[in-house]
Amino acid sequence: MKVAGHHVLDAGPREVFDAACDPATLLAVIPGCEAIEQVAPHEYQGSLVLRLPGVGATFRTFVRLVDADPPHAAGMEGRVEGPMGTIAGRADFGLTEVDDEPAHDGRPGAGSDGRSIASRTLLEYRGEAVIQGPLARLDSRFAESLANTLIAQGLQALNSHLIEASSTVAPASGRPSPREAPE
Amino acid sequence: MTVVEYFLPRSLAQAVDLLSRHGPDLLVIAGGTVAMPLINDGISLPRQVMGLRFVGLDEIEPSDGGLRIGATTTLTSLLRQRHVPMLAEAARRTASWSIRNMGTVGGNLFTPPPGGDVAVALLALDAEVTLEGSRGRRTLALSEFQTGFMTTALEPQELLTGIGVPAVAGETTYVKFGRKEANTPSVVTVAVRVARDGEVVTDARVALGAVGPHALRARKAEAVLVGSSLEPGAIDEAAEAAAEECEPFDDGIASAWYRRAMVRLFVRRALEELVQHVALEGR
Repeated sequence: MKVAGHHVLDAGPREVFDAACDPATLLAVIPGCEAIEQVAPHEYQGSLVLRLPGVGATFRTFVRLVDADPPHAAGMEGRVEGPMGTIAGRADFGLTEVDDEPAHDGRPGAGSDGRSIASRTLLEYRGEAVIQGPLARLDSRFAESLANTLIAQGLQALNSHLIEASSTVAPASGRPSPREAPE
Repeated sequence: MTVVEYFLPRSLAQAVDLLSRHGPDLLVIAGGTVAMPLINDGISLPRQVMGLRFVGLDEIEPSDGGLRIGATTTLTSLLRQRHVPMLAEAARRTASWSIRNMGTVGGNLFTPPPGGDVAVALLALDAEVTLEGSRGRRTLALSEFQTGFMTTALEPQELLTGIGVPAVAGETTYVKFGRKEANTPSVVTVAVRVARDGEVVTDARVALGAVGPHALRARKAEAVLVGSSLEPGAIDEAAEAAAEECEPFDDGIASAWYRRAMVRLFVRRALEELVQHVALEGR
């Protein structure tokens, strides 16, 4: 199974990287995540509950952050185990500040909710995993489509979390956005 | 691992209670046409299963000019109702008699593409779904219920209990294109509803199936149609917009490229069919 894609997040690379390493944030944004704990530096384990058509199951998850280059890039090695089988693989992501790029609404310096933001991050990811057990009998389209859906939902939730977090921070901490910059 | 417990609740309250007691590992089935093949193949290995056959959610009732459809209403029952012809047609074009006799309207909303055609017709009719659980009942637009490939807005403690079809204005057309005439997965499914004031379109729905992670509305195509008179230029433009905004995929039925081309063709055909139908009725 292979996944790849990108997503623009309404926060700077440092905020995105820190959020991606924070168990409480991960618990809030990963679809179906019921529990997560840090068991060692850069190592997390937890459980994931998925109610899919014809399937209802709890999966144990283990993730280790590798080759971290904060706040620019990192790799994640992971394993998901459940009654339907095991998914094990690695994903790499890169973070690039894109504050001069058009935002979600096409205007510079505006976030997905239309408000002005200090900076934005392009998150690019690529991953590959091996499916073993009964799950492997499914058409690969199912696993890849489902993985892409869950990643997209998780990143949308992460973006909402980042926007919420930034709204509680004093505006002075951010650079002025292009729309706010003096001419 | 095998199924060790099979629950057959006799009321919705019992079903909700069982779900809250046993949690998300309890596999909920209605007709079983999605789950049983996975269980038979050893892909889904539930220890606990709850069947909804006897909870009393299998009625179709007229409601405020629209329709109230219980989640476990079979597709055969939907086919036989005469209140909303497009829903009968959508059911008629879904799978085979044997599947329609078991498969349910609610279950069809969980069926991954290229299945799940009934949702396409329901989207064009602005249908809503009712979800009930231990925390109460809530209603959601169908367009918000299906959130991604095989994922929905259903919370772990909730059941889909019904589908509401409001009284909506306009003419409808439903077109399903597969590799054969009957009992076939879709290459593309198109449902169209257009309301007009005289010649001018005041409201439009263009729903597509088998060309995205779930049934979806082609909102750009709808915007093209509103304000038009369904003239050939507007129909062509709407078909082009729908082809651009759909998210087709490759599978054993068709390539993504072919599916997109068929969206362009069948949105146009659906709208032309609707125009012909209106013209015939006007005579």
